[in-house]
Amino acid sequence: MHLTTTQALLALALLAGPLSAQEPPSEETIEFFSLNCKSCHTIGGGRLTGPDLKGLGERRDRDWVVRFLQDPASVLNGGGEYEQKLLADANGTYMPDLPGIDAARASKLYDLILAESALEKSQFAGVQVSDRPLTEADVERGRRLFLGAERFKNGAPACISCHTTAGLPGLGGGVLGPDLTAAYGRLEGRTALTAWLSAPPSATMQPVFAKRSLEGEEILALVAWLQHEAEGGDFESSPRSLPFVLAGIAAAGALLVLFDIFWRGRFRGVRRPLVHGGNEA
Amino acid sequence: MDVRSQIGMVFHLDKCIGCHTCSVACKNVWTDREGTEYMWWNNVETKPGTGFPTRWEDQEQYKGGWVTDGEDLKLRSTGKARIIPNIFHNPAQPSLDDYYEPWTYDFQHLFDAPEGDDQPTAIPISKITGEPIEKIEAGPNWDDDLGGSPIYAANDPNMEGLTEAQRKQMLEIERVAMFYVPRICNHCLNPACVAACPSGALYKRGEDGVVLLSQERCRAWRACIPACPYKKTYFNWSTGKSEKCILCYPRLETGQAPACFHSCVGRIRYLGNVLYDMDKVREAANLPDEQLVQAQRDLILDPTDPEVIEAARRGGIPEGVIETAARSPVYKYVKEWEIALPLHVEYRTFPMLFYVPPLLPVMSETQGDVVRNSVDALFGDVEDARPPLEYLGKLFAAGNLGKLRYAIKKELAVKIWRRHVTVGDIDEEQAKRALVEADCSPEEADDIFRLTALSTFKERFVIPPAQREMAMEMLVDPQELKAAAGFGFRSAPRRS
Repeated sequence: MHLTTTQALLALALLAGPLSAQEPPSEETIEFFSLNCKSCHTIGGGRLTGPDLKGLGERRDRDWVVRFLQDPASVLNGGGEYEQKLLADANGTYMPDLPGIDAARASKLYDLILAESALEKSQFAGVQVSDRPLTEADVERGRRLFLGAERFKNGAPACISCHTTAGLPGLGGGVLGPDLTAAYGRLEGRTALTAWLSAPPSATMQPVFAKRSLEGEEILALVAWLQHEAEGGDFESSPRSLPFVLAGIAAAGALLVLFDIFWRGRFRGVRRPLVHGGNEA
Repeated sequence: MDVRSQIGMVFHLDKCIGCHTCSVACKNVWTDREGTEYMWWNNVETKPGTGFPTRWEDQEQYKGGWVTDGEDLKLRSTGKARIIPNIFHNPAQPSLDDYYEPWTYDFQHLFDAPEGDDQPTAIPISKITGEPIEKIEAGPNWDDDLGGSPIYAANDPNMEGLTEAQRKQMLEIERVAMFYVPRICNHCLNPACVAACPSGALYKRGEDGVVLLSQERCRAWRACIPACPYKKTYFNWSTGKSEKCILCYPRLETGQAPACFHSCVGRIRYLGNVLYDMDKVREAANLPDEQLVQAQRDLILDPTDPEVIEAARRGGIPEGVIETAARSPVYKYVKEWEIALPLHVEYRTFPMLFYVPPLLPVMSETQGDVVRNSVDALFGDVEDARPPLEYLGKLFAAGNLGKLRYAIKKELAVKIWRRHVTVGDIDEEQAKRALVEADCSPEEADDIFRLTALSTFKERFVIPPAQREMAMEMLVDPQELKAAAGFGFRSAPRRS
């Protein structure tokens, strides 16, 4: 195996350990953290879906973090008490695999977390979205944003193109993404949902929303709408495929009947009814 | 006066013996290719019978031809607005079942069959699927000579409107009257197929009015198939194009009669061009049914009238074509003698194929178990014709019995006159009285007799000289496709 200069330096840096923490984290690492981590983790802002990362250096060493980031599931499965607690805290949800992660990047992320933990107030202390109380107007605006009746300012696609909720009328919304009726509950409330929406991390959503992020007020409105949906109570959260198929069959049948009426005078054959109709003189 | 030349045809039904030689000649020349097996550009029908396709005259079903509101014509099958919702599925489309499923036989089996207790047979094989056919249910002349069942005769659309007695008379098996109606494309003056085509693939050739279907422009909308009331455009399922009788124009252009005319053993067919006035066609086509026979005759102009000749020259008709119009046998039968009538002129397409109606006198009848033969009716009253005049009138005169009676009376008078001349058992006074009653002179009777019975090839087929090559020479080399000719495509059609 040939090592490039960079790789050699990196290896040195890894060996050097704490020394490298003195270097300021690069722009690239910060951007990676923003895209992939901050929707579930804060640094000093409390727990979202995942744990607060402040003071990670005191809890785990570099080696563990690098292994963990490269393959969260196997570390969680194969681990001891600490790992089991992580899993339990997250309600059994595994941390998803990170796109484009490798040992070097994982190490840089660890450095970033260490550096940010040392600060009085980290830039990742929490999403900078107002925590004002949500109103009826927010619910209404959220509904309009979800349905696409009002466009997102930065041009992101409306939620309904991929998602549905139980409260939508008619055939509901898209079925490409999951039903969002229970999303508010699944993400344990406003804070985490706000964080998720500020930088959607899933593999499908990330490329779509990376360059067209939602604005703070839009996020609040959507949170209000999803909260309203989650509290709707009387809705059964279920896929709408059955009514859709039934409606399709009914519409096809109705069309056939219409065609039959419209073309009732059409040619239906002459010879066969003549010969087999027994119209013999 | 907008004078044009049109090829016309006359079929003399009193001479047709129903041998189908014409159909076979046409099939061998034009329609033995894949996709055309079921087409019979020329077919011969037994009347009474349902014809090909079955009951094609029933326009309630087939929606062919024109209807008039007294001022303007409308197609029964389609129209500018109706074509849009119906363009992908024409609701008046006959299926293959209404024609027939063409077949051949597995003749090889006669040679290859293993030894067995029974004589090997050649089983029928479908020309559509290539599979054996269990039971052949229909053919292009299935009702030929009643085909073993009176069901076809009983369902002849022309029988509708006859009295119960007349129907019974026609269906009584010992008295059943049969005659044959050979049919080809009528090359109508006012063709419904041309009007219906959304692609403009059908057209009427300028110089002689032959209706042709461009294999390059046809887009398989199949609007022509219901529109033609005679069901003489056919859809080729293999090429995805419609095809029809082309009146053997390559033969016409070289001075030969079309194959079906040429091969006719009964010499019943006549062909020649007539001059007509295009300006009057619209008005004529909107007249009431019973005036249509006369209206069509009035469209045809006297080719010896100097005024007509002058107008024809102005219209660019070549001298040679004006000259052949003056010798046309069609002009004589239709216009001078008025004994040839169009088939179903009430479809308002003005078919240019005319029929001399058959006399079919009663020659024998049964009384109890006794069959009485008599020749009295041979020279008796026209009302004794076995198919009631009402029936023939439906076919050939749109119900105008006067026109039909006139024609049949004259035919009969000619027979009486010639019996007097050649045999002499009818005296002159009686023969002349018959002629006078039939509005006929001895000279005219001799002319009719001569053209009917003794005519030569050149008298029966007066083919206008083709000018097409001369016109084409300026644009293309007429020899370019020499030895490459044949029925086909210059650029092969593709189904995608």
